[in-house]
Amino acid sequence: MKRLALTTALATLGMISPALAETLKVGVATAQTGGLATYDAPVIEGVHIAVDEINEAGGIGGNMPIELLEKDVRSDAAQTAIAVQELVDEGVSVLVLPCDADPSLAAMGIVSGAMIPAISTCASSPTLPMVGGEYMFANFPGDNVQATVSAEWAWEQGMKTGYILYSPDTQYTTLPLYFAEVFDALGGEMLGQDTYSIGQQDFSAIVTRIASLDPQPDVIMTAAYEPDFPSFLNALRAAGVTSQVIGSDGIDSPTTFSLGAPAEGLVFTTAGYAAEGSPLAEFNAKYEDVTGAPSQTVFNAVGYDLVKVIEAATEAAGSTDPQAIRDALANLEGVQGATSVITYKGTDGMPVREVSMIRVKEGERELVGQPSPTAELIPAPRMQ
Amino acid sequence: MDFFLQQTVNAVSLGGTYALLALGLAVVFSIMGLINFAHGELMTIAGYVLMYCGLAGLPFVLSIGLAIGAATVAAVLMERIAFRPVRNASGATMLITSFAVSMVLQVLFQNLISVRSQPVLLPPLLTDSVRMFGFVIGVNKLLSIAATVVMLIFLDWFMKRQKTGIAMRAAAEDFAVARLMGIRANSVIAGAFALSGLLAGVAAVLWVSQRASVDPLMGFTPVLKAFIAAILGGLGSLRGAVAGGFLLGFIEIYLAAYLPPEWQEFRDPIGLVLVVIVLLIRPNGLIPAPALKAHKV
Repeated sequence: MKRLALTTALATLGMISPALAETLKVGVATAQTGGLATYDAPVIEGVHIAVDEINEAGGIGGNMPIELLEKDVRSDAAQTAIAVQELVDEGVSVLVLPCDADPSLAAMGIVSGAMIPAISTCASSPTLPMVGGEYMFANFPGDNVQATVSAEWAWEQGMKTGYILYSPDTQYTTLPLYFAEVFDALGGEMLGQDTYSIGQQDFSAIVTRIASLDPQPDVIMTAAYEPDFPSFLNALRAAGVTSQVIGSDGIDSPTTFSLGAPAEGLVFTTAGYAAEGSPLAEFNAKYEDVTGAPSQTVFNAVGYDLVKVIEAATEAAGSTDPQAIRDALANLEGVQGATSVITYKGTDGMPVREVSMIRVKEGERELVGQPSPTAELIPAPRMQ
Repeated sequence: MDFFLQQTVNAVSLGGTYALLALGLAVVFSIMGLINFAHGELMTIAGYVLMYCGLAGLPFVLSIGLAIGAATVAAVLMERIAFRPVRNASGATMLITSFAVSMVLQVLFQNLISVRSQPVLLPPLLTDSVRMFGFVIGVNKLLSIAATVVMLIFLDWFMKRQKTGIAMRAAAEDFAVARLMGIRANSVIAGAFALSGLLAGVAAVLWVSQRASVDPLMGFTPVLKAFIAAILGGLGSLRGAVAGGFLLGFIEIYLAAYLPPEWQEFRDPIGLVLVVIVLLIRPNGLIPAPALKAHKV
């Protein structure tokens, strides 16, 4: 009798296990080395934390564990396409692509051909889903949205004249052009603009030009990030320019807060702010628990957001079918991530997310606000 | 006029840093015929030492000494471990070796330290500025000009008055004959690497004090600039490297200062076109090495 019971139990288990064993295969093709690793590496840390959390609870919906298949694309566009092809061949249901529009777009053909939804870790160029088509999604507030938030803030602070520094090298570093567009539309006057190349060490010529302007611009906006941004800011302050400087999410990094006097009063837009009791503060506590070190950047939390989005989409789709997940993803509404509430419904793949404005005050971050931009002011995505 | 003078100060400061970088490449090339593309990683090492010293709370002056020392030791080790085994191999082999060293070090930095850039704490003095003769000069700029001058004087003295320096010059002119005269190949080459490490260390301090952060790939841009400057000046010629470095600095700054706004986007290619024009007129560089063997270039 006992034996019969055991056999029955085993048989039942055996019958149930195929359903239990269904896992969601997520292909992760991100830059763990090279220039983009600065962003992708912390995002993937957040991804792991979220996946472990979900799997410990039995998986998505309690019964569908997530399996990550990871490949390093070395910040290289061609390598991204190769890695994505390999992951598609392994039968993944969702793809995660690097934190920049350019390598993500390199995989576009394969993604659309295989009809598998792909999400870039943290690319913020609004052209990404536009060019990438219906299977390409972003996971960050768009550049045009960030620029609108900062331009409106500058205008409200009574700043009337502006200057921008941008780089034509990537989509992201052209963000200041959106800023100029909005600032102009609000009635502000642009006193000029300068370009730089990514990795440019010396900003003295540009800074000398800004310092020689009379009158000085009220606000200087740039989307430069490390190492360009600290070089620029140090040179700017050393040349005696005291204008308000506004940056964007690329400078949400420890270096910015360790620059001392030159960075004092600097304002930038980013994906979130860890107010006490907020989901981001909760995530940061969890991050410290898991890794033993405090989170150094909001990009950790952005990785957590990414998995929360995949989880919500898969749950809504009710299966691991890529097409069903894509359709569910495109209709997601109000997913609670670590940094923000995330909505894809009604967008072309560029999510609606909160933008936080942060001010550097005595080497610490201070929340300026989390304003919603005026919809009519948000510039249309601009193709380079 | 003020604008021009200010930009000229910028150009001297940037050119000086390029000159130090190019000299580091030239010292090794003149003796071994090797362009050491891992030179930039010596700078990264110095940068990380600055970072760790800052975290440990050491005074900045002491950190500078340690950083330069670390780059020098690393250069000697690099020679001992990677380049000595391939010393008599073809130029291409040595070149590939230097790329390999560079990549191995970059991946080690990424895996052992961090893929993210790490902040370097700098004394506030470095981001200050002083008023001189009616215009504003950053302390950083003054330091970089001063460091360049000191290094150039030191190098001149070392090469002319010091036994090792004279031996290095002899080896650069004709290694085989120099060895017949009793000069030890190992010590001359190790000396050349130590000197290039020293130059890399000084350049790294100047470089990092501008950007306030270090990342695993930070060596790439400076070594590229150094390479252009060294070619421009005449590969293997020390005076040429200095001239090339300054010329490159002047080209970059004046283009950034005086190109019309709509052309600024093409600043780098225009700068390189100017370099090509100089090379068309002087194919062996501004000041060719005396012992330039045509097949080496």
